[in-house]
Amino acid sequence: MSLVAFDLSGPSRLENMELVVDGASKVFGAGESAVTALTPISLAIGAGEFLSIVGPSGCGKSTLLNLIAGFETPSSGEIRLDGKTVTRPGAERGVVFQQGSLFPWMTVLDNVSFGPISRGVPKAEAREKAMQFIDLVHLSAFASRYPYELSGGMQQRVGIARALANEPRMLLMDEPFASLDQQTREILQFEIKRIWQRTKTTIFWITHSIDEALFLSTHVAVMSARPGRIKKAFASEFFASDDPMVGSTQAFTEAKREVTMVLHEESMKSSKQEEQR
Amino acid sequence: MSAVPSVKQSADGQSAKVNRRDTVIQLRSKLMSGRHVSFLSFLVMFAIWVVATTPLLGAPMVSPVFLPSPQSVVMTFLKLAQEGYQGKSLLYHYGASMFRFFSSFIGCVLLGVPIGLMMGMFRIVRAALDPPIEFTRPIPKLALLPLFVVWFGIGEFSKIFMISFTLFPIISISAMEAVKSVSLRKIQAAKSLGASDATIFWRILLPGSLPGIFTGLRVSVGLGVSMLVGAEMVATSSGVAFMALSASDFLQTNIVLVGVTILAVTGYLLDLLVRVIEKVVVHWSGRE
Repeated sequence: MSLVAFDLSGPSRLENMELVVDGASKVFGAGESAVTALTPISLAIGAGEFLSIVGPSGCGKSTLLNLIAGFETPSSGEIRLDGKTVTRPGAERGVVFQQGSLFPWMTVLDNVSFGPISRGVPKAEAREKAMQFIDLVHLSAFASRYPYELSGGMQQRVGIARALANEPRMLLMDEPFASLDQQTREILQFEIKRIWQRTKTTIFWITHSIDEALFLSTHVAVMSARPGRIKKAFASEFFASDDPMVGSTQAFTEAKREVTMVLHEESMKSSKQEEQR
Repeated sequence: MSAVPSVKQSADGQSAKVNRRDTVIQLRSKLMSGRHVSFLSFLVMFAIWVVATTPLLGAPMVSPVFLPSPQSVVMTFLKLAQEGYQGKSLLYHYGASMFRFFSSFIGCVLLGVPIGLMMGMFRIVRAALDPPIEFTRPIPKLALLPLFVVWFGIGEFSKIFMISFTLFPIISISAMEAVKSVSLRKIQAAKSLGASDATIFWRILLPGSLPGIFTGLRVSVGLGVSMLVGAEMVATSSGVAFMALSASDFLQTNIVLVGVTILAVTGYLLDLLVRVIEKVVVHWSGRE
């Protein structure tokens, strides 16, 4: 079990991987009030990989996700999925938000079958598919309930099932567990690991938690304070551990220390930036 | 040994006191719940009316010409219901008023909601329609009634048009604000699930706007009923408000009060109806 430095944007990766961020940057506004959210970033994610992004708040993590999702267009560079330039949101990139993205006027089943039905899958078939994924997140008993009748953790499961029901090539997850309590969070971390291993979906994961990143992912990238860029990236092996207590092993602690040191420096810069503003 | 029971006793005494205070607080909160207070305030108002108009010692405190007693209002209502007013039954007058109100209300919903939604979704539509709506909103609509009568004649249309002139901005602007308030995150979620623009409208924007639309409907129901008074002020010989207005010319205060009460109860019941429908249709509102 170990953590080693890793180049996410090596030339062979940029050519061959499933999702490629090729020198993508984002500037908001224009002229004097322009704010650079992301300096040109390059990274590649291979099929079945689980990439976690950690970074100080305001570093542009979410902007990067928005670019990959197609909610925003890059100011320079491009995003490619299977060699094709991403220009708009698409069903092959499922997005799970932190909270508040479920449709409160729809039952759990209607939320989860929304994707397939929108893509033209016949209703009965879409519902059947939706039930499979509702089952996968253990919510079968709640299929006909409305989101407001569920706890925060259950709502996030619905969000995950809804994204999965489209059987996307990859899942983009923007701090999906950030608003949950610690216990619920840990349970859902195990669940997402199980789902990832079962569905082999590529995952792009944004988090504040280094523990979460190390526990779940095959790769961890630390972003710098604004303007965001990839400060350092690692390949991690802890995800493969069967030990539920892997988080308390010495190797894990050392790995955490290493990532924390890189992140800490950037967090200091980031808070200084905020003081100056 | 002797100290122990005394401590216990005092502890018990304290807890009893606390219990009693709790009961008092509970009792008070039960008695003073919102509904009770509302009922009480209504009762006090009614009592003042009864006392002021009942001949307890000689003449009543307030002359019946200024304020008739509740009994005489009820009697007048029954008489009007039997004999009608100015040759037409009370139901006819009520029907005329309701026809004006509902024509205007339904017309404004059918036109105002789609136009408001378009204004919220397309900047061009907003740019074109926002100035005329915002410009006409503060104009006292009553001042325009003579103009509408000149334009549209003395028929029903000028009256319906005047009520609509009040309701349309409220309904369309509330629909516009409602659709603008649908969270970007939900729209993004729908897009990333592969929804087309049409799907996003019918399954996200429209249901997401319903709570705001209902708020506009409730406001306009109340206003619409009160606008009947203005609409039936000139060039008509029918309607509940016409009845009240023309009766006041002859100092028939009891008929005035019957008309006012009918309008008030109608407004209240319509508001209740909208609220009930709202609760069923947008059951999820405010519960995210």
